[in-house]
Amino acid sequence: MLIPIVVVLVASTLSIILAYLTMVEKDLLIATIYIAFIGVLYTLIYYILMAPDVVLAYMPVSSILLPLMIVIVLKKTKRFEE
Amino acid sequence: MVLVEIVFNVTQVLEMVIFVYIASMVMFFVRILRGPTIFDRVIAVDALSCDLAVFMALIALYTGNPHIAFPMIFIALWAYVLDLYVSKYLEFRDIGE
Amino acid sequence: MEILAEAARYCGISFLVIGCFFEIVGAIGVLRLPNFFTRAHAVTVASVGGAVLPLIGVALISLSYTELGLGRIYLACLCIVTALLILIVVPTGSHALVRAALRTKMEIAEEQSRGS
Repeated sequence: MLIPIVVVLVASTLSIILAYLTMVEKDLLIATIYIAFIGVLYTLIYYILMAPDVVLAYMPVSSILLPLMIVIVLKKTKRFEE
Repeated sequence: MVLVEIVFNVTQVLEMVIFVYIASMVMFFVRILRGPTIFDRVIAVDALSCDLAVFMALIALYTGNPHIAFPMIFIALWAYVLDLYVSKYLEFRDIGE
Repeated sequence: MEILAEAARYCGISFLVIGCFFEIVGAIGVLRLPNFFTRAHAVTVASVGGAVLPLIGVALISLSYTELGLGRIYLACLCIVTALLILIVVPTGSHALVRAALRTKMEIAEEQSRGS
């Protein structure tokens, strides 16, 4: 049972790097895409830790609702951050 | 038949395929870091979420517990919505609300 | 019946290895190709060839596992439905994205010149 530990380690390391990049990014649309990628990685971690019901609740929130709301707000305001 | 069974053991094949998918996940991550335009990043997220469906089936077969594999059909349904959002926002400057 | 299970298992293993090949080729293409449109082609190879074929392979392998009980038929049906959905959904999203990239080519050139 070495495989799930390796997968959890790789996914959590990549998500830490992406969280830092999301903080320092100036283009907010690219930051939205980073958030979607973090959501996919968290979905993988939840699935390997044997919680598929949390996956069912987390996947539409992180992949549909949050980018939809951020893109609507970006349409009303500006895209680049000064 | 015994030799064939030893050579093509299912568990070893599953471990090899899981390692290949981890390697491809890291490659998509590198493309997300280096991507010059937005579209490269979006299409890397799309490819990663399609790999995730395969990953769930492989883990469910590897751990011998097939009743945890039901979220992969929803991931296959919802993987492409981010593409439509970003393309409609960049092409028409609104998303219809 | 035993012969049929063995045949399903070896067909599934071969499908899995072929899908693995497509996946690694698509990932290397995503890293190495120069343009966005060629990268979109590589991603479509990695999604369709690398996700549909291994799902069918997993369905065949799980049909040949007798120790899983009735769960093997559940897993096989789930894998086949997911493969059909990916076969419909991925070309739709990729086509929309490539069309948006083609129509906003000026903005892409501007953004590359700006160096973001």
